[in-house]
Amino acid sequence: MRRLLIVAALILAVCLHAMALGKAADAMKLLPKDESQAFVLPSPLLKIAALEFHGIASDILFLKSTVFIGSAVGRKEKAGIKEWEWNWYAKILDASTDLDPYFLDPYLYANAFLPWEPGKVEEANRLLEKGSRYRDWDWRMPFFVGFNDFFFLHKDAEAAPFFMEASRRPGGDPMLASIAARIAFKENRTETAIFFLEETVRMTDDQSLKELYETRIQALQSIALLERGVGLYKKKFGRFPSTVDDLVRRNIINQIPVDPYGGTYSVALDGKVRSTTSSELEPHISPLMRSLH
Amino acid sequence: MTLWPITLVTFKEGIRNRALYGITLFALLLFGATALVATMIPREVGKVSVDMALSTISFTGLLVVLFVGINLMAKDLDKRTIYTVLSRPISRSQYIVGKFFGMVLIIIATMGILSLLAMAVLVLMKMTFAADFFSRFSWQLIILADCLVVLMLILLSAVSFLFSSFTSSSFITLVLTIITYIIGESLSGVKALVESPAQAVGFTVSPLTRRMVEAAYYIFPNLSLFDIKVQAAHALTVSSSFVIWTVIYGLIYIVLSITLAALIFTKKEFP
Amino acid sequence: MDNINIAVADNSPMCSNNMIKLVNISKKYNAGIGEKRVLALDSLELEIHQGEVFGFLGPNGAGKSTTIKILMNLIYSDSGSAEIGGKDVRNPEARKVVGFLPENPYFYDYLTADELMWFGGKTAGMDLKSIRKRSDFLMTKVDLQNARKRSLRTYSKGMMQRAGLAFALIHDPDVVILDEPMSGLDPIGRKMVGDLLIELKQQGKTVFFSSHILNDIERFSDRAGIIIGGRLRLVDSLSKLLSVNSNLEEVFMKEVEAAEGEAAP
Repeated sequence: MRRLLIVAALILAVCLHAMALGKAADAMKLLPKDESQAFVLPSPLLKIAALEFHGIASDILFLKSTVFIGSAVGRKEKAGIKEWEWNWYAKILDASTDLDPYFLDPYLYANAFLPWEPGKVEEANRLLEKGSRYRDWDWRMPFFVGFNDFFFLHKDAEAAPFFMEASRRPGGDPMLASIAARIAFKENRTETAIFFLEETVRMTDDQSLKELYETRIQALQSIALLERGVGLYKKKFGRFPSTVDDLVRRNIINQIPVDPYGGTYSVALDGKVRSTTSSELEPHISPLMRSLH
Repeated sequence: MTLWPITLVTFKEGIRNRALYGITLFALLLFGATALVATMIPREVGKVSVDMALSTISFTGLLVVLFVGINLMAKDLDKRTIYTVLSRPISRSQYIVGKFFGMVLIIIATMGILSLLAMAVLVLMKMTFAADFFSRFSWQLIILADCLVVLMLILLSAVSFLFSSFTSSSFITLVLTIITYIIGESLSGVKALVESPAQAVGFTVSPLTRRMVEAAYYIFPNLSLFDIKVQAAHALTVSSSFVIWTVIYGLIYIVLSITLAALIFTKKEFP
Repeated sequence: MDNINIAVADNSPMCSNNMIKLVNISKKYNAGIGEKRVLALDSLELEIHQGEVFGFLGPNGAGKSTTIKILMNLIYSDSGSAEIGGKDVRNPEARKVVGFLPENPYFYDYLTADELMWFGGKTAGMDLKSIRKRSDFLMTKVDLQNARKRSLRTYSKGMMQRAGLAFALIHDPDVVILDEPMSGLDPIGRKMVGDLLIELKQQGKTVFFSSHILNDIERFSDRAGIIIGGRLRLVDSLSKLLSVNSNLEEVFMKEVEAAEGEAAP
């Protein structure tokens, strides 16, 4: 009888243990996180603390950053990610690449995320230039810097030498050299941006990153379509349309393209096409739009 | 050739140490983790596999030096087997050198097995993943990194022998060896830190500190020289002059440590 | 009473050949910080003749172990010199002819008795065949035949002592030095050691053993030395000592009293 009681007590204890663990873990997820958790040790100290294990320390930091991105991408509203969280993300990637500056993945992720939603273009470029210095066999590093300079920062003059460098490195498209020239002559920005993004998609194997880029391409293609429409309208009627519906009404285009970010298009007085989102959760103009004007 | 009986007896005693079972199990777990973690990396699966495989070898080797190696000397001194050994017609120096060679054999044997396991894991990863995940991979560099790790462990072991020769407690030897390892690995980083201009690191360093660090740099073994794991992971080039000078440095440090250990041990008494 | 005052009676017919010679050996130990240094040995002079069994008698802490450890070069004397077989004890060669059994012998846990014999034989310069032969002989002699392939970890204290004896004798040494060889042994063990001592004597070996057990000294020694407080007080053949006194205990207690008398001013 006593043995039965002991076994029953043990089973009860194990169940309680599992329950308590589950409840505590859930509660921990709901705890408010704040900026004090955004601290990353400065790299010289990290390097000393990592002893002879710089490589795996770099890997671990990178994995930490992917956990963050995984949960962030899961959050529908990208704008819900706070400034300090993006700061932390940038710092983690910086630390990871300080420990191992030849590690490719942090650079790819830095480029895929930092210049876009959080608008941290200079930060991304700083990282990518580090990558370009160390990964001197990799044409993608200078290519990304050039793209960011061109697309986000409108620094076409600074972009050109990076594209030149990319064209010279193994695997780099020699076409990039002529693109550099094109940029210098300020031809159609949207179409050039689409070309670059399609290059990026071509070299990306990571499926989630691919989808990210393709959404952006789609958005730009919609804009490009409307821009062409606006140009044709101007040619035909001598003035810009007041709304995008005019383009449909006057049979310039068949239908208004869908904005993958859910916004509505409008035409500004200078003929530029804009999109604003209708979502209350994203009251700002999307960075994509910011970059085009 | 009275060194050989001491060497062989030391080797047998060390290799049969039960701690090695636990250490081997631990290494197997780490190799398993290597396979798991590397698959979570989007692109550079190869680099992370090499990182983890080499780090497992390093860390396991460290455990062997600290817990099997130090135990070897300690057993003699704590448990008085020293009376049995020194009653033979051998000199104190022969004892130390013979024992050290036994330790070297233990390190080479255990690291040899671990290296084979590591290679097996890497071959497995290469077979599982397409070639472009292993875009930069060099067996030569991996083997070279492995050899340098073994040399580093032998060096650390020689230093632990030196500590054993003058301390009576195996715990103190353990602590001193761990401290030497930490200082040895971080020394070049600290030296770079104190020598870099103030604005780069955000604080100024007094000249006294700088001189102390420089002194420490020449006294303590610079173990980070033997760490080319990052180079191996990315198949970067390593100059042969670097390798040659590092090996010479290591061998000289080993010889100096053991010579000093033998000298100190010759003066030791066993009441 | 001055320092060097020992009554040495040399009635042994083979006294011309001294296997062990200690000349003016002194040793001081640091007792601790701030405490007085302890004089463990005070100008010890002793000669052991070839082929004799010499019993070294004294109370605990008298300096018996210290003397033996100086002979085995485990500790160094502050002054004086010691020789075995004509060679200075600081020379490893001196130990080629010595077999040593320490008090409470201890060996490497994971070795077998066979491997221990191999180690003993090889370090003394024996070849493998001789080692095997001697091993077989000695293992049988000390009754460890069944346990010789087991690791020494599994041995009892008695078995350790026997393994130690075999180890000491593996290279057929001319001199056998034993530090408290009977300590902690059961009657069977004591008988075995005793028989061995007699056998060694018959083989003409020189045996130097220490003990604080009077009876053992009485039974096995040709000559005995009494050491108290670091000073060798009396050295004589057993027959001489027992002719004057009824038993060794009397002799011993007389010396103890004399020593106490000197110590107290």
